[in-house]
Amino acid sequence: MLAVLPQLVVSGIATGMLYALIALSLTVGYRATTVVNFGHGEMVMAGAYALFVFAGFGLSFAPALILALGLLFLWGALTQRVFMRPIISGPHLSLAMMALAIGYAMRGGARLRWGSEVVTLTRPYSQDVFMLGPMVVTMDDLAISGFVLVLMGSLSILFYLTPVGRLVQAVFQSQRGAALVGLNVHAFHAMMWGVGAALGAAGGALLGLFLPLSPDMGVWTLVRGFAAMTLGGFGSFHGAVIGGLLLGVMEKLLGFYINTVFIDITAYLITILVLLIRPAGLFGRQTVVRI
Amino acid sequence: MLVARAVEAGYPGKQILFGVDLHVARSEVVALLGANGSGKSTVLNTLSGFVRPQAGSIAFDGEEIAGRPPHLVFRRGIIQVSQARDLFTDMSVEDNLRLGAWVRGGAVAELLDSVYRSFPRLAERRRQQVRLMSGGEQQMVALGRALMGSPKLLLLDEPSGGLAPAFVNEIAAIIKALKARGIAMMMIEQNIKLALSIADRFLILRNGRVSEHHDTRAGRASEEEIVRSIYL
Repeated sequence: MLAVLPQLVVSGIATGMLYALIALSLTVGYRATTVVNFGHGEMVMAGAYALFVFAGFGLSFAPALILALGLLFLWGALTQRVFMRPIISGPHLSLAMMALAIGYAMRGGARLRWGSEVVTLTRPYSQDVFMLGPMVVTMDDLAISGFVLVLMGSLSILFYLTPVGRLVQAVFQSQRGAALVGLNVHAFHAMMWGVGAALGAAGGALLGLFLPLSPDMGVWTLVRGFAAMTLGGFGSFHGAVIGGLLLGVMEKLLGFYINTVFIDITAYLITILVLLIRPAGLFGRQTVVRI
Repeated sequence: MLVARAVEAGYPGKQILFGVDLHVARSEVVALLGANGSGKSTVLNTLSGFVRPQAGSIAFDGEEIAGRPPHLVFRRGIIQVSQARDLFTDMSVEDNLRLGAWVRGGAVAELLDSVYRSFPRLAERRRQQVRLMSGGEQQMVALGRALMGSPKLLLLDEPSGGLAPAFVNEIAAIIKALKARGIAMMMIEQNIKLALSIADRFLILRNGRVSEHHDTRAGRASEEEIVRSIYL
């Protein structure tokens, strides 16, 4: 039984990278606006379908991906500007309901168009398998991990080493303070929702490499992204990444050693346990969260 | 420099200001006095764009700015230091100061030097997290951050509020130094002695209306009379 452990960890890390990306995309939107986007799963779904549509125009993977991310950036920014901004100072529940409703509407739109079709993305690489000592590493594992690591590296530079990162932190700490130093906070919110949506879309594109697309895939991704974010600590970038990796590994371990049903419920269990035992997560601080 | 005429403003369902007229000349310091709830903070928030006026006009250097959002008002050089200070408390003093210069730009190193000369205490603590500082020191960061934006007009909302007496004197000395540098200011201040020692003129606000205005340069105003005007 223990001989399988390294293999499970490797597979778990690859899946966890994907969760980390989705948690990170949720965190970007949350850090900038202090509002959790409960419709974020549908941004992930829309990213995957947008890539499918652009690839259908005959574009190769990379340009189709860039266009899909650009489209989702615009859609995320537009969603914030048109639907969230008018109610931003309203009750927290209104914001949560609005985000959920937009997500459901997007899912409905996808069902209308693709509800009865099995849609898959074509990998831009061959499905090779490598041996790493006794462990099997698939090309999917490498592609996902590599892409996410490059994206995380770029984001780390952006958020920790540039003035843009300081602005994101500033808005997170005090929106009024950010306005007092002359920042157009509304435009900044819209832009960061766009960035969050584009990152979520990148997660959707990666997910679509090894799973068929479905209009309902957003729920699956939101639950895992949310669990990773909760485990790592709300608002923490590195917490989102570590939370995602831990979730990916735990799913594999519990699913193998206890029961396969744990693959589906680990995210829910983690969310429940963390909120009960340590609501701030591993790296978060106890704060009042706008939902 | 700033001329507001017949300004009416408030919040949804509650009008606070009823036809407020005021002006601030270049290099002038005007104190805004009044009881709690008289509308003083709403005046500052309306001038800085956080509250949209329902009627009236606000001209700054001849340009109409009524209803402009805060970031556009800021770009014109009207910079507010709020009562809550609204600092970035998890960041260092220097990060807070640098963010103050983010929009209006300028020679950031020179601006920092100038702020550190005005606030030597901040220079000593430039790497310190703001959340770990005392109220008086945080007030200095808030003032310094506003100065980093090279203000033409500073709006100060109770700069001495909640501070220990030693800090009140220090903040008063700093504001006087800013006045000597020719920075125009409109300040709300509960400490009437402090307000009168700095301001060229003062206005008394009562129920959202300017009920009195005095020129402190014309003669020494009696503090007792002023308190009576405000509260009785």
